[in-house]
Amino acid sequence: MVIAPCANGRVHPETDELVAFGRRLQALRAGAIGVCIVGGDVNVAAREIAQRHSVPVTAIQAAGFSHYLSEPYVAVLTEEIEAVKPAFVCAPHTSQGWEWAPAVAARIGAGCICGVDGITECQGRLCFQKELYGGKVKGLFSVSTTTTVISVMPGIFTIKPAPPPCPPGPVTYKEAAWRPAQTRYVGTRQAGVDASDITAAPIIVAVGNGIGSPENIALANRLARRLPKAAVAGTRVVCDRGWLGYDRQVGISGASVAPALYIACGISGASQHVMGMRGARFVIAINTDPRAPIFNEADICIVEDIIRFIPLIEEACGRLAEGTKEAIDVR
Amino acid sequence: MKILVCVKQVPDVERIVVRDAADGMAALDISNEFRMNRFDEFAVEAAVRIKESMAGASIHVITVGPGRAADVLKRPLGMGADQGIHLKTPTDADPGPAAVAAFIAGYARSRGYRLILCGSMSEDGLNGQVGPMAAAYLDLPYATQVIAIQPAPDPSELSIEREIEGGAREMLAIRLPALLTLQPGINRPRYPSLSRLLRAHRQGVETIPTETLRPAEAWVERLGLMAPPRMRASQVLTGSAREKADRLAAILKEKAFI
Repeated sequence: MVIAPCANGRVHPETDELVAFGRRLQALRAGAIGVCIVGGDVNVAAREIAQRHSVPVTAIQAAGFSHYLSEPYVAVLTEEIEAVKPAFVCAPHTSQGWEWAPAVAARIGAGCICGVDGITECQGRLCFQKELYGGKVKGLFSVSTTTTVISVMPGIFTIKPAPPPCPPGPVTYKEAAWRPAQTRYVGTRQAGVDASDITAAPIIVAVGNGIGSPENIALANRLARRLPKAAVAGTRVVCDRGWLGYDRQVGISGASVAPALYIACGISGASQHVMGMRGARFVIAINTDPRAPIFNEADICIVEDIIRFIPLIEEACGRLAEGTKEAIDVR
Repeated sequence: MKILVCVKQVPDVERIVVRDAADGMAALDISNEFRMNRFDEFAVEAAVRIKESMAGASIHVITVGPGRAADVLKRPLGMGADQGIHLKTPTDADPGPAAVAAFIAGYARSRGYRLILCGSMSEDGLNGQVGPMAAAYLDLPYATQVIAIQPAPDPSELSIEREIEGGAREMLAIRLPALLTLQPGINRPRYPSLSRLLRAHRQGVETIPTETLRPAEAWVERLGLMAPPRMRASQVLTGSAREKADRLAAILKEKAFI
């Protein structure tokens, strides 16, 4: 059972990824896919999902619903899941799904795995793969309960090109009492930061925890000045410490960037950061830890301490520039 | 106001070495150095700030783990927590989020906590499940990824902000008692004070064996570990640091970046 994210009556793009994940599960374990969508005005969205994916959809219309809230969402979903008893409940690993999935699992007594980015068969059992230890390694997990609740990492599972026209799946309409007793939604504030400096830059010098101290940001600034139109960016940790402004943050909670060149300096490579830089065309990573996960995301890997290595890059670029100049002079 | 803060002892993630093992699997060499999960420091700091602004507030800090895990309570006590509780597991094995949440809920039930705070996840498991699960077991309203906490006009509520995608924030009012999991960046955790650390050392912690709380069901089993796949060429430059720098400059030139 796929739980479509709540998006004020619209179909959220993550729904497609969750259906793709469901299809992948189906290839390993036979069973039917159903989609469930909960919200204030979900009937149109439910029909659209049924059409697009040719799957049965349950639309749970909840009067008085204006915005996602954990408390009533958990209550409505728990009731629906207990009635349907699916083998798998697939949630998006987002600020919504990651919040409600563990609570629903606890209420129904289901095993729960959050942040799943792969499914495999392992020792004859169905295994869900997820990152551990800051992304240094992936764990393979198997669940023994009748129902398994999974939150699926966004951006991993993609739907194949549209199949030949299929009949739309049936839509079942239900109503739920929506009584947000203890929590109240007040409003949403958009991010107050303008990340255009880094989203527009063709070259990004990005710093992570390995930069060590705020004074060393100067090293990154100097390297950036050597490279045409380069901007300095950082990971969440660096921005949280105030070493760089939040307008410089790359990652899930910051900006997504796609520069021609991304130089990751002292960045370990946790998925929260990596998901914001996967679009980069060429990636150079410098880190002291040869097993840092950022190296899996890099074209060029350099195992060095950035504090000592950044000045060496500057010198090397300088030598190269002089060499070129001399060559021109000789001519 | 009685506040309960949940903290976890984790191995130093930076010191973990990933090795290749048989059948394409991986193995971990975990050092014997453990520390408090960084995400939990924000929860301790948030609790201490509430205590400082509110007469009569007290902070209990709780952890679930084997004998060594009691050490993780020292830092929060040094930061300003009043009492440490160690729910001691019989073995070194991590019982998993569902069992940890059930143990914490078992302890917290009927002890009158108005606010339970957790970090948004742990550095080792990256699950973020203990908070929502404990809230479900205790039947409390909850919110995750909280990035701001303010007193509300109604003293039985808190005004909070949750961080959602792209750095936007959902503003909520939540009625107490409640459970919140906090995002890093909500505050700047202070260093523990020496005098508090010494007092914490004398005072000791309350130790409760988890066997006396409730059975821990193992619903999720870890079957193995894998090295993450390479997404790009991952060409490693070799030689002296200077040689690597020269090679890198040549690559930058070749690709017309300089």
